[in-house]
Amino acid sequence: MSGVSPRLVAYAQVVSFFGAFLLFWEYGVRYFEVKSYILPPISAIAVAIWESRDQIFEHSMYTLAEVLIGFIAAVVVGIIIGMIVYVSPFAQRTIYPLVTALQTTPKSALAPLMIVWFGYGFVSKVAMAFLFAFFPIVVATLGGFAGTAKNLEEHFRALNAGPWTTFTTLRLPSALPAFIDGCRVAMPLAMIGAIIGELVGSDRGLGNLIMLGTASSRTDLVFGCIIVITLISLVLYAAIECAAKSVWWRGIQV
Amino acid sequence: MSATATIEANKGGAQPAAQPLANHIEAKGLNKHFGKVAALEDINFGIRNQEFVSVLGPSGCGKSTLLRIIAGLIPYESGSATVRGEVIHSPRPDIGVVFQTNNMLPWLTVRKNVELGARIRKMPAQARDHAVDKVLEVLSLSKFADAHPHQLSGGMRQRASIGQALVLDPPILLMDEPFGALDALTRDKLNVELLRIWQEHRKTVMLITHSIAEAVFLSDRVLVMADRPGKIIEEVVIDLPRPRDAAATRALPQFGEYVAYLGKIMGVTK
Repeated sequence: MSGVSPRLVAYAQVVSFFGAFLLFWEYGVRYFEVKSYILPPISAIAVAIWESRDQIFEHSMYTLAEVLIGFIAAVVVGIIIGMIVYVSPFAQRTIYPLVTALQTTPKSALAPLMIVWFGYGFVSKVAMAFLFAFFPIVVATLGGFAGTAKNLEEHFRALNAGPWTTFTTLRLPSALPAFIDGCRVAMPLAMIGAIIGELVGSDRGLGNLIMLGTASSRTDLVFGCIIVITLISLVLYAAIECAAKSVWWRGIQV
Repeated sequence: MSATATIEANKGGAQPAAQPLANHIEAKGLNKHFGKVAALEDINFGIRNQEFVSVLGPSGCGKSTLLRIIAGLIPYESGSATVRGEVIHSPRPDIGVVFQTNNMLPWLTVRKNVELGARIRKMPAQARDHAVDKVLEVLSLSKFADAHPHQLSGGMRQRASIGQALVLDPPILLMDEPFGALDALTRDKLNVELLRIWQEHRKTVMLITHSIAEAVFLSDRVLVMADRPGKIIEEVVIDLPRPRDAAATRALPQFGEYVAYLGKIMGVTK
């Protein structure tokens, strides 16, 4: 195998592993005669996705909008709270511990409440996405601000830098890597939040489609939705990774 | 008055006229405690305009604390500390500080880092660009202006840190073990460079160090400190001819004598 590059070997390993997995799924369920409402063969799932593509696309866009709006709201509110806690010692004593404590609340338990408050429609799902994404972002942002190097702070003090200059020139860029880490954790969580909201009560969205599929024993469609949800999450995560690349000074100590 | 002096100094390195013998920095009966621990006890000294004074002492003797008080970064309990006759209560624009840890922001280029002080102090853009160019040239960093700090060696980063202080051309320079984290060879080179800069652009310098050779080579006077509590136990005038030279000065018999003498004082006090 001396002529083959190690990269190619690595790719071949990955492809053959997943190929074998899919083949095992496809022929395993047939061989063991697994009922299709328990686990349909992978080809049936592909067919279901293709046949319901318009429906899936429409529900996907709905869910995607919930996730993005909830996530962006979490980013905005997270940064605002991070800044308030940074400038106000009072907020540091009150809001910071409160946020840290609320972080441990199981957010899924809030889904029925969100539906009572905001109805069956769009807003309650945005609220769920927000609740799931908010805590990792705010905790990471606060940690980022707090983690500004002490020697740099002293350097800025020696230069008589004002609070706003210190914030924009020093604190904000220092906190960015931690903030991006928070977004990285929060993005898939926003999707989880929106789906849980839809499962608990909704009239549209991929979570709603899963409920419809389950009720009519369309397990192939349910699997199709799960695959699409996973793909959307992966794309969103990749977008965050791209943004993270512009914050290249993560972990660089000079 | 300090503002005028700074502007004058920025224009062409012109020093404020008059009183070359007046004390630029002065401490009288200065005391500093951290909780119940006495960090500094009855500190008395003066540093004249354009004088190069080193404060030499074992680690933990409070010499960095002393520098931070003069820099206006921390308060003191009793006695007095003045810069150009004014009581110190906050950082002053006519003082540049170089710390042991280089204070480069990793996300800014060397040029932007050196520029930082001038930006924060709101120096006009044209004067700022000119000052930055000059400082980068003096420190042989022009070629690395667009590099980021992590791409530089430790010695170059420390040079850039000195540039951060020099860009405002402050008449007073406080340096807290600026070469303490460097290897001996780089340290020697930077000593020579600092000496050259000081000989060309005379400034009042207070250098904190624990290197005896560094203190003797650079200083007009050395203040020796002892620890627990930190106090000045000896003042040694380094009467070596100026301008000094990397090789010739270190080869002088008196150089060795000063080093030996200071070594003896510090050894005895330990």
